[in-house]
Amino acid sequence: MLEGGPDRPSFPGICTNTTDLRIIVLRFTLPVQAKADIAAPPAWVSGLQRNDPKTVRTLYKEHFAAVKHYVLKNSGTTSDAEDVFQEALTVLWLKVREGAIQDASEPGAFLFRVAKYKWLDVVRSAAHKHMRVLHDDRQPDVRADVPDDTEEKLARLRDVYARLDDKCREVLDQFYFERKDLGAIAAGMGVEEESIRTIKYRCMMKLRASRKTIAGDEYTDEA
Amino acid sequence: MSALDKPTFERIEAYVLGRLSADERLAFEQRLATDAALRSEVDLERENIMAIELGGLQRVLKQVRAEQVTEQGSGGSWISYLKYAAVVAVLFGAAWWYITRPNINERAFANHYAADPGLPVAMSAAHDHAFHDAMVAYKLGDNDEAITKWSALLKEKPSNDTLRYFIGCAELNADRADRAAPLLLSVADQQGSAFAAKARWFGFLALVRSGDLVTARAVPFAVDHPYATKAKMVLAELE
Repeated sequence: MLEGGPDRPSFPGICTNTTDLRIIVLRFTLPVQAKADIAAPPAWVSGLQRNDPKTVRTLYKEHFAAVKHYVLKNSGTTSDAEDVFQEALTVLWLKVREGAIQDASEPGAFLFRVAKYKWLDVVRSAAHKHMRVLHDDRQPDVRADVPDDTEEKLARLRDVYARLDDKCREVLDQFYFERKDLGAIAAGMGVEEESIRTIKYRCMMKLRASRKTIAGDEYTDEA
Repeated sequence: MSALDKPTFERIEAYVLGRLSADERLAFEQRLATDAALRSEVDLERENIMAIELGGLQRVLKQVRAEQVTEQGSGGSWISYLKYAAVVAVLFGAAWWYITRPNINERAFANHYAADPGLPVAMSAAHDHAFHDAMVAYKLGDNDEAITKWSALLKEKPSNDTLRYFIGCAELNADRADRAAPLLLSVADQQGSAFAAKARWFGFLALVRSGDLVTARAVPFAVDHPYATKAKMVLAELE
């Protein structure tokens, strides 16, 4: 309700009608800084969106200890804990990149939950049947954080990456992951910018050709 | 499977990476709405880029994990044992290096050899597609692929100095100095070849690398040859 009343301030000499009052009230109630705070994602989200290694390092340092504690209590080793934590961080990254997580302010709970379920999967596998799980309190429906297609997608993406040779990885990683421009990559590798552009195109075409050959039914050329 | 031309690839790439202006993006999305083949290409390219980024993430995670291990290892009672192990490792490494170190000509070669980076590969060079295709392989370090492709062209043009020069360079990069030397030195002696000077230098280094020092010393370098000073330095090291 925007109209003036006994409990709201009036602005004699400034407002002459309801429309003017609405404009002034909005200016007073939504300061610029407050709007920016609402719009901006948390630093760790924007960090993952731009593949910032510092963000990865910070998430690792802040949240690995809890996962390690859990895994060690459940028959695992530090190396096991690192494996499941890295997998959880990878799932978090994918979720952020897909836009599935935008405004969550605390990634620790997500990382712990995913890592925990991944470790429980390991524990329940045939190789670990002899282990005793001390803290298995998961609910049947809580795995919604990691839907089945996430793991399938990660497996598919890893398979795609495995098809690249080292030289292509060197160029494509710098361009797509590190977000360097072609000139910087060319200077670092001691070749011309146009050569890097061509190499990038050819590497991506090799990848496209291999995927279309293997999964011809999935991607069909209609052109 | 039809090829995807470079402008279309780069347009899709710009769309996926969010580098189109608002107007360009709107126009592209209008085209997407009616072009199923384009949608398929966008999906494929988006996923390929995502795969490359995932590969980069795995690399960073591996680094962070290694850093964690180092940090954890900086404290603890076993650190004193680590010092002894490090000393033993250094001694063992030094002995191993001494036994297996390269001989004098290999060291001279390694000190002075910097591979030819190759020629610029422009996409517009459609008339020399086979040559440039091999050049891309050369720049990517696929020396054998480059040699195979250039050798096929050399059969059609056996006197072509560019082909002989780069096949020689690729052989040298592939550590087959004995094959590289005659190819390069034949270009060095070819009148008017733009590659003559570099070919003489690389041919000389190929001889050094393969241990044929007698022939290497006999390679003539004119006083004003751009690599005369370097060749003298190599010969001095061999003495």
